[in-house]
Amino acid sequence: MKSKQQTVLSLHNTGSFYKRKRGVFGEPFWAFKDISFDLYQGETLGIIGRNGVGKSTLLRMMAGITKPNKGTFVNYGYQVSLLSLQLGFIHYLSGRENAVLSGMLMGLRKKEVKSKMDAIIEFSELGDFIDQPIATYSSGMVARLGFSVAFQVDPDILLIDEVLGVGDAEFSQKSAKVMQDKIHSNKTIVFVSHNAVLIQQLCNRVVWIEEGISRVEGEPESVLKEYHQFLHLA
Amino acid sequence: MTQKLDTLFRYSELIIYKTYADLKAETERTYLGFLWWIFEPLLYMSVFYVFFELLLKQGTPNYVPFLLIGLTAWQWLKSCLSHGAETILGAYGLMQQVFLPKVMFPIILVLTDTVKFFFILALLLIFLWGYGYSVGITYLALPVVLIVQLLFTMALVFFLAAIVPFLPDLRFVVENILLALFFMSGVMIRGDIVPEAYQQYYYSNPIVIIIESYRDILMYNVWPNGSALLIIGIISLIGIWLGTRLIARFEYIYPKIMV
Repeated sequence: MKSKQQTVLSLHNTGSFYKRKRGVFGEPFWAFKDISFDLYQGETLGIIGRNGVGKSTLLRMMAGITKPNKGTFVNYGYQVSLLSLQLGFIHYLSGRENAVLSGMLMGLRKKEVKSKMDAIIEFSELGDFIDQPIATYSSGMVARLGFSVAFQVDPDILLIDEVLGVGDAEFSQKSAKVMQDKIHSNKTIVFVSHNAVLIQQLCNRVVWIEEGISRVEGEPESVLKEYHQFLHLA
Repeated sequence: MTQKLDTLFRYSELIIYKTYADLKAETERTYLGFLWWIFEPLLYMSVFYVFFELLLKQGTPNYVPFLLIGLTAWQWLKSCLSHGAETILGAYGLMQQVFLPKVMFPIILVLTDTVKFFFILALLLIFLWGYGYSVGITYLALPVVLIVQLLFTMALVFFLAAIVPFLPDLRFVVENILLALFFMSGVMIRGDIVPEAYQQYYYSNPIVIIIESYRDILMYNVWPNGSALLIIGIISLIGIWLGTRLIARFEYIYPKIMV
């Protein structure tokens, strides 16, 4: 890793809460309460932690969907998005129309999606089915389309929540492969998981979150070692 | 500045495509597709025609055109309000995944319902011409009345859509308020039937003004009350601005609501 890298996002003692009643009324409960780290240009940052420690809520804040309730979160002018599959898909529309709609919802312009349509059709292996309503697709076909569209969206910073590959066995391997290539490339990526093996494989740096607090940050090996020690003690 | 403009274009494009997608999805759900946008109001209007013109044979001359104009305008408002109330609440899943300006959702709904309204309006005009009314110079004012109603509807829908996520129970109240409004808005009755003492209150209802404006144009060939329409238009614009502000105020709160 280069020593002088540009900071793209920076979190300083950030916390975010929901409220007991409908999420907005009553007593607050903190999804995460004290998380600090910086994200640098071109790196793959892993976030590890057990279920329910606020990882997804944290990603949502980083994507600009919600705001922190405490601390400071700074985005130095980059486009951040969450990898979301089948976003906004409508059952009765064709694969092509859903690809356009989904791509536009994720921030592409219509002409951009259209120019990427051939790549989407090819990667999803849908062929002529692209003009059939997705109601007629098998769930595997919908998953393939969903992934192929999401993969075409190219934000400055990509946030990935657990899922790498989707669909049936074969496509799952193929999609996980291109995803890993993307992660290994020079893209800035935040990868959230509780799978230590994947984190170790993919990330340059890891933040471990426990009970809504960022406990340790650093080289994957040392952070994961501490994480495992903790799990065995817990 | 150019970035802001770019964002505006991007969202406008998205709103238009989503409107198209929603309309298309609706037509794909049935065998007859978009023909239902014509058949449904046709059936609806026939019921009134059979009941009032053939069965009741009641005294008021030209009651059927009078009623159908009222119903057409009312249905547009009603469908926007009852569907629009749930738009932000209904977009909950989407807003968890990606940042989108929430005001988009009520706009899309008003647009889809407005497209469907135009089919009904066309049908109404054909009926009126067949009934013996003709196109007069006052038709020039028709677009103005349509725009005023659109603005008025948007203002109300924005407020409703903004509040319903916090008070989902409101949805049940809305239907009943709409029923009460239906009776108070001159859809079925003439203004001069209202007792003298209540006339002032009756005419402070913008929907009354709007519906009577349509009748002035389409039936009586007289110019509608311009100053009243202007006031409604201005108040509606202020309402739209406030409603947009209200929704923007909760922009980052809505995704935290648990449905």
